[in-house]
Amino acid sequence: MASPSQQLPPGWAAEWDATNQRYLFVETTTGRSQWEPPVAGPEIVGQEPSGSPPPAHHHGKRRQYAAGQTQAYYGGDSLGPSAPQYGNVPQQPAQLFTPGLAATEGGGQFAQQQQIQGGQQGYYAQEPEYINGPQQPVYPVQPPAQMGALADQFGQMNMGQKGPRLFTTNLLTSPPEPLELRQPPPEIFLPPNSCISPSPLANADSSYQRCTVNALPNSNSLLNKAKIPLGLILTPYRSLKEGEEPVPVVTDTVIARCRRCRTYINPYVQFIDGGNRWRCCMCSLSNEVPQLFDWDQARNQPGDRWARAELNHGVVEFVAPTEYMVRPPQPAVYIFLIDVSHTAIQSGMVATATRTILENLDRIPDESGRTKVSIIAFDTSLYFFSLPPGGADSQMLVVSDIDDVFLPKPTDLLVNLSEARATLETLLGRLSDMFQDNHTIGSALGPALQAAFQLIAPIGGKIMVLSSSLPSVGTGALKNREDPKILGTSKESGLLQAASPFYKTFAIDCSRAQVSVDMFLFSSGYQDVATLACLPHYTAGQTYFYPAFNASRTEDAIKFAHEFGEVLAQPIMLEAVMRVRASKNLRMSSFHGNFFVRSTDLLAMPAVPQDLSYAIEVQIEDTITAPFVVFQTAVLHTTCYGERRIRVVTTAVPVTSNLSEVFASADQVAIATLLANKAVERSITHKLEDARDALFNKMVEILIAYKSSMTAAGAGASAQLAVSENLKMLPVLVLGLLKSVGIRQSAQIPPDLRAYAQALLTSLPSQLLIPYIYPNFYALHSMPPECGTVGEQGVIMPAPLPLTSERLERHGLYLIEDGQTIFLWVGRDAVPQLVIDVFNLPNYEMLRGGKVTLPVLDNPFSQRVNAVIQKTREMRRGPYYQHLYIVKEDGEPPLRLWALSCLIQDRADVLPSYQQFISQLKDKVNGSSY
Amino acid sequence: MGGAGWLFLFAVLMAAGLLFTMVFFIIMFSDLECDYINPIDLCNKLNQFVLPEHIAHAFLATLFLLSGQWVAFLLNAPLLAFNINKIRGGNHMYDATEIFRSLPNHKKESFIKLGFYLLSFFYYLYRMIVALIADSE
Ligand SMILES: [Zn+2]
Repeated sequence: MASPSQQLPPGWAAEWDATNQRYLFVETTTGRSQWEPPVAGPEIVGQEPSGSPPPAHHHGKRRQYAAGQTQAYYGGDSLGPSAPQYGNVPQQPAQLFTPGLAATEGGGQFAQQQQIQGGQQGYYAQEPEYINGPQQPVYPVQPPAQMGALADQFGQMNMGQKGPRLFTTNLLTSPPEPLELRQPPPEIFLPPNSCISPSPLANADSSYQRCTVNALPNSNSLLNKAKIPLGLILTPYRSLKEGEEPVPVVTDTVIARCRRCRTYINPYVQFIDGGNRWRCCMCSLSNEVPQLFDWDQARNQPGDRWARAELNHGVVEFVAPTEYMVRPPQPAVYIFLIDVSHTAIQSGMVATATRTILENLDRIPDESGRTKVSIIAFDTSLYFFSLPPGGADSQMLVVSDIDDVFLPKPTDLLVNLSEARATLETLLGRLSDMFQDNHTIGSALGPALQAAFQLIAPIGGKIMVLSSSLPSVGTGALKNREDPKILGTSKESGLLQAASPFYKTFAIDCSRAQVSVDMFLFSSGYQDVATLACLPHYTAGQTYFYPAFNASRTEDAIKFAHEFGEVLAQPIMLEAVMRVRASKNLRMSSFHGNFFVRSTDLLAMPAVPQDLSYAIEVQIEDTITAPFVVFQTAVLHTTCYGERRIRVVTTAVPVTSNLSEVFASADQVAIATLLANKAVERSITHKLEDARDALFNKMVEILIAYKSSMTAAGAGASAQLAVSENLKMLPVLVLGLLKSVGIRQSAQIPPDLRAYAQALLTSLPSQLLIPYIYPNFYALHSMPPECGTVGEQGVIMPAPLPLTSERLERHGLYLIEDGQTIFLWVGRDAVPQLVIDVFNLPNYEMLRGGKVTLPVLDNPFSQRVNAVIQKTREMRRGPYYQHLYIVKEDGEPPLRLWALSCLIQDRADVLPSYQQFISQLKDKVNGSSY
Repeated sequence: MGGAGWLFLFAVLMAAGLLFTMVFFIIMFSDLECDYINPIDLCNKLNQFVLPEHIAHAFLATLFLLSGQWVAFLLNAPLLAFNINKIRGGNHMYDATEIFRSLPNHKKESFIKLGFYLLSFFYYLYRMIVALIADSE
């Protein structure tokens, strides 16, 4: 690397210090040394006292501060051992960052980093800003992790706050506070010097990867004492909203990896041997730094190692050289399998789908003009379309022999999108009319899939299935196994398992041929979503379900067209494999999500979907002696521009031997996400009831563990139900899971809805999953005047209310939304003015419940309500577009009950209210103690 | 050599065959754990042997039943019932999509079967020798 000595003021020398991995700056005349690069000019002097102060002075002060703080909050125990230890560290971790550069930039760096920090925002940051101050929880909120890093840079002012602090709360007296869920996860307090970069982005943002505990127990026995499930939640390909910082790309194909464990170089490695070698942070092997690592290939001059993206960013993408390719990068391929049976045509699905494809042809990723498409229609026969290049008319080829599927023509079925554009547009415009009088009922989905597979297998790509009925003929035909009698019984989980092995074996064939399948299902009757969803599940696709779709209702058409369009426009990344590596003594033990597990730790994803979440359970195999551990997820894939790339997501988490730190750093959102995945798996392999019991028992175990180790009550009975402040919302999230459609105890939920809900539970990233199990509830009639207007961070949203119907006033207007559906609840005594303003109707009696599009009227209140709804639909990632239902307080019972089922803190039928749930927990917790 | 002698000689050979099948299964499972084989190939390979193994075992049990070897039959009855139950439930084949999740169970099952076949091998051998001695007297 470029020696910083050239940039030094006269009288200074820089020495590489191998033990501390940084340059030591020595003033040659006095012999005085310091870690900060010296500066001749006066800029720095303003910030740092001139002549670095003797470190010991600082320490003494800091330690006192720490001790005082600790005592104030703890009565003098828990944190004790760690705080002073940090105080003795001889230097700050901060100023490693480009010695020369840091000096010249001085104060500018602070502002710059704050900007960066604003760019990559996580779950919480995406949510609207709440300006209703009084609603904010009053307990101390820890500064976000980045602030800690910044503070370090300015002389470790924050020493007393190192390490997570434990605050105990009593669940019996503190009700759930919805805003808590928007707090960032507990801060990660890495030991000093663990990171070679001062960048706040050195640890991956929690929206990409988060661990269920942000201080890892150092042994399995300690983990067992805490009872908190250990796992990783990842969304390596989350989409970026406007204004978010893109993931940096390393383009020079210099990829430094550990020779032994194949870990990619990251901000947590150490440079040794004068910077010529680096020590792997996972297995401690010393590796050579590649020759071109310090060479700027773009400018052909020595580069600055410390500015390399992979040493400063937790999320980074490498352009991979040819060694990472199995074959030349293939083009993106889309095959649309469209059901054209009588029911599909009548529901308007075909017309809507073809129109959506037509409108989105420009959005389908095709930068290099290589993308290929094909359309196959099917009812009980298959209809292929030959699309000759050069504008000639398309030709339909019918294959009615579905027992032995063959392609009727060797060429022109799969065509280049840009070459056959005109023909394709004509075909899409006519397709629905061509089958207008089709009276065939039934579906040969299996044979259609086989035909598509024959077409796509040589290249790989994406099959998009649009189907309106249960597959009834040929391979993969399914029976209607819906039986109201077994709903709610122990046999119900059978309905959630695949009925036919075809969809699993076919999924494996697809996975091998790099084919991914997306399912769009529309049936009004039973369609066996559980079985059909296997195909997307094992091929890294996604299932979308529009029960009883009818395009004559514009809301249905808009929702489907929006979501289908978003899926089409997603960048497609092909032929991917994902692997998660972790430090020594950690093992990835089981995997949840949409992919095929190809070997013990390799996940095959024929196409990388965006905004899907994966949960991985982690085991601690042996005592961990390292001060921190690193999790690294690497996804190797081919972009639609024909480039092989590797996305690397790195998260470092400190290791602790202190149980209180484990509790204080547990991430309730990540835990709930992991539990959702485990519960669904259990409900399929065992019974739904077992899944519910397991959830409840897990919650009880955590509370018992907390009570016996963290409170004075120990093993005895207690009048309190204690848990740490940062886990306060976990019980209500577990209750939300127990009441979610995928898990809930009920004999009324159709198996298709249940299977779809389970598919959502296992694939939604935390940002979407949390509202799905703990919906948002706003009072619109009484929202402050600024809500619904545009503030600094977009539309200002009202404060969320706890999910209980006690908050429903008879004259009110409320909004309840779970990320999939929005309910607009109108109280029975709603004043006519409100009804006029919002719905343009004279009074409450004239109002109809049901799916609607809310009119935007010429009055401020209507516009504010619409702005809130608009923001609700846009604020999260993912393709989902929420339906809006108007629910009248005295309206149709099913709709009313559905909306009320979102208020999970209420009692509903056999399901307990939050109060009852908490007292059940308390009884269990106290009952088990002896 | 009388009927019983021949029967148990056959049983010894069968038990030896089944024993080797189980050893093969266990080796394949550990190969999977070490990433020497991918789950798809593994399941394709093992699934060829699942039904023959079950049929061979059921055939042996039937022979015992027909020849009135009650002790030998009762010894085999639990495994027979277990196998039949699995086939009826449709989950006797190895599923590549779930194999990593169920691997510990599969291994446990194979080890138990291995032990069972080993014990029954010696039992059949003993019964064969007893039958031979009885014949020669
Ligand atoms: Zn290594």
